[in-house]
Amino acid sequence: MSTVAASRVELLIPARPEFVAVARMAVKAVASRMPFGIDDLEDITLAAAEACTNAIEHVPVDPRGTEPDIRIRLSLEADQLVVEVQDRGVGRDIDMEPVPPDPEDLPESGWGLLLIQALMDDLHWDINSEGTTVRMTKRLAR
Amino acid sequence: MEFRIEVTEKGPDVAVLAVDGEIDLATAPRLKEALLALAEEPKTVIVDLSKTQYLDSTALGVLVGGLKRKRERGGELRLAGLTERVRRVFDITRLSTVFEIYPSVEEAKGEKKGEGGAPL
Repeated sequence: MSTVAASRVELLIPARPEFVAVARMAVKAVASRMPFGIDDLEDITLAAAEACTNAIEHVPVDPRGTEPDIRIRLSLEADQLVVEVQDRGVGRDIDMEPVPPDPEDLPESGWGLLLIQALMDDLHWDINSEGTTVRMTKRLAR
Repeated sequence: MEFRIEVTEKGPDVAVLAVDGEIDLATAPRLKEALLALAEEPKTVIVDLSKTQYLDSTALGVLVGGLKRKRERGGELRLAGLTERVRRVFDITRLSTVFEIYPSVEEAKGEKKGEGGAPL
């Protein structure tokens, strides 16, 4: 564990498809502050984008008519980057241990979770009354 | 961000659909629409991804849908010119074992038989 305090960056984006690209650029820029290699940077960016995409696809319509948003938190720690993507979707059916899709079955969805699992070192879901948070960690290569 | 998708070639047997840009939740519907327009004919559709710098799971879903529709009709959807990053997405999901993937459009058309005529 590091004794150096983590730097934190938070980003709030509208839960709309055209903002996934914005999230990608921002996440990549922030992750670039850490000594990740280019492949790791691309992995982090894609994983974060997949989490945002998943959130947008599941975000509920707010009955008050306010635009739903997604909160992205990045914690730059000494030896790892933690990316959290939080939406306000509650009670959605998430398989905590998703079974990778079988390519032979040719499913048209479900690939995002498989990508996040493969691209990041750690993946954790937290679903509570506030919404759903995906927490992903990428460790620096030793 | 610029995103372009166009049919660069359309013959009786083969059509080439070139995608220039990033395919994600915002742009994938346009790819889906373009593939639907080519679902009936021609028999073979080649998606040229040489100018696709990025694609995500939404794009995979759309391409899988396009492949299924083609195969149901006895046709084929081939992918050509994948960048290293895009190739990685297909490898992770093992979809590289499902799609016919070629280094270039010419090889996907089978014009260079002998070196790239078979899937990678």
